[in-house]
Amino acid sequence: MEGASTKGVLSQLSLLEVQARSRKAHPQQRGRVKQLRAEAEALMVQREQLKAEIQTLQRLQKLRTSMDKQCTHEEEEEMDEDSEDSQLLQLMARHTQLSDLLHAHHLIGGYNVIKTRQGKGVCVSLATAYEGAYLDTYNLELDLKPKLKISRHNIPPFIPLNSLAEQSSIQTNIRSFLDTLSCHLNALAGRQQQLKLVKEQHKSIEVMESNVLCSILVLMLTVPRGKPAVLCTLDYTDHTRCLPTRVHFECEDKELPDSPEWKKNCSLLMETPAHNALITMKKMGYIV
Amino acid sequence: MDESTRRLLQRLLRRIPAQLLRSTVDKWGRLSVAQWQSVDFTQPKWALTEKLLAICEENEWTAKHITELEMIYVIDNPNQGMWYAFQLMDPEDDAHSVELTQFKEQFKSHLSELVRHVSVKIKKHTDEAVWIRIAWGDSYSRPNHLNPTYVVHHLQTPYVFVTNLTSKQKPLLSQALVLSTRHHAIKDANLSGRKLTAIRDLLMRQYQHVFPTKYPSPLAEINQTASNPRIEREQAGPGANRLQMACEAFGDGMLPQLQSAVYKLETKFRDHTNKTMTERAEPFKCVVKFASTNLLESLRHCASSGIASTPVTPLLSSIPVKGRNYFVITDNGPSPSSQMHESHN
Repeated sequence: MEGASTKGVLSQLSLLEVQARSRKAHPQQRGRVKQLRAEAEALMVQREQLKAEIQTLQRLQKLRTSMDKQCTHEEEEEMDEDSEDSQLLQLMARHTQLSDLLHAHHLIGGYNVIKTRQGKGVCVSLATAYEGAYLDTYNLELDLKPKLKISRHNIPPFIPLNSLAEQSSIQTNIRSFLDTLSCHLNALAGRQQQLKLVKEQHKSIEVMESNVLCSILVLMLTVPRGKPAVLCTLDYTDHTRCLPTRVHFECEDKELPDSPEWKKNCSLLMETPAHNALITMKKMGYIV
Repeated sequence: MDESTRRLLQRLLRRIPAQLLRSTVDKWGRLSVAQWQSVDFTQPKWALTEKLLAICEENEWTAKHITELEMIYVIDNPNQGMWYAFQLMDPEDDAHSVELTQFKEQFKSHLSELVRHVSVKIKKHTDEAVWIRIAWGDSYSRPNHLNPTYVVHHLQTPYVFVTNLTSKQKPLLSQALVLSTRHHAIKDANLSGRKLTAIRDLLMRQYQHVFPTKYPSPLAEINQTASNPRIEREQAGPGANRLQMACEAFGDGMLPQLQSAVYKLETKFRDHTNKTMTERAEPFKCVVKFASTNLLESLRHCASSGIASTPVTPLLSSIPVKGRNYFVITDNGPSPSSQMHESHN
């Protein structure tokens, strides 16, 4: 009996000894384990957040489809949250519906027109947008009687409004006039936005010249490894386009503009918006 | 350093107010580090002037450097003196592709062809405005830097703003401008004011316009003293209407600060109680001038408070819509004016 229990105790003791030894052998592992545990916690929290977001979006989506189908009653009963939450979701769904509608209206070339002065005039709103962001809105008030005439507007003076009106014969085809004007205004907004982004995103590039119409842009590009700087001129002679009609490089090193890489840069600047083209050129290491 | 340069600097330093002197000289950047540190800008103006004159002698600055300083000061403080707006007419086909270097060269060469001795300095400001400083001389005398003309122009727009131009200099400047901007003619835009920024904003339409919309957002109303709630309720509708029409005519928010509007009337006298005047064949000539520290603001308030009838008469709304503050009104035909409306006030 004694022998058996002593064996049991001894084996217990030896087990404990092994355990104590192994605990001493892995003290650093404790810290690492703690760190990993904390990371796991954070990731789990993030996962819960994302799950909640997905859930909300799914509910929003369901609500939105039900709104579009205009049958709200059955869906609402599924919402067993408190009414504040569901009201908020309703508002959010309605908001997405309205902004999609406005976007579609803009895409199909629609203009916001309202009648003024008891039908004797109209006011047309022309929205401008570039790369998915809405920019300035311009307005035109037109007198309908006795003759179609532009009475008031907030279009800047460097857009030749009167000559555009004459060219597209505003009397007979007001739609073509509005389309041309919208084209000019959107292109202007696009060029203005590109200039703004070039200034914001590329602080190392100096804008040497620009003008209010954004029809010319001259940039000073720095070439790496101490080579001479390149003066880049972008001419936007077609005022209905956001992209330049001509790109020209000038450099002390006469060979540079004719090199195949810079010829590629030239076509890049002709085909992509300036701020993006410059990002690509920086990535490829042509400029700093 | 000769006497005229000294005098130029003295005059300029007298003109720049004490609180702006430090920043303007700093921007100029012509003082060496040691010199900059040796100037104590808290001293009284006369002492500062002496100090800067001494530094000027030391550095041997000429009129060219001093006019730089003057230009910096004027560009940063443009709302002084009297500015007049001009409009370029009949552009050539290549008018909209005139670029800065081309304009600068052409303007300088044309003006020096017209005037024997002239000193022209052109500078492009960050807001795309081209500033031109002209010191006029003639066949016998050197350019007079004490009385320069300043011209401001945005390329690709038809407007030019000028200050301090005599009638003798006007045709010369007009010619140079027309040729260098590739237009055929230039005319008076009938807009003047003390603040360059105001007349520029008015013509470039850089203020908050209000247009009729389907879903009008509530315009910021002036705080009215709470009088009688019944009156308020009655007047709420018409009041909002008046405000909307006033804002449509003049704009919302901060308006460009014009100081005056002048109407030159050449119309027949209309008052049936005064037979002698009405029987006259010739038109009754009269000039009506409205003056205010902020004319457009005052007119908008007149319309929104009901003092002026709404819809706003075209006589008043033409000021922002046409961008002018000088009108000649005759009885017949549109002329460079608007038709006279019957008003028995």
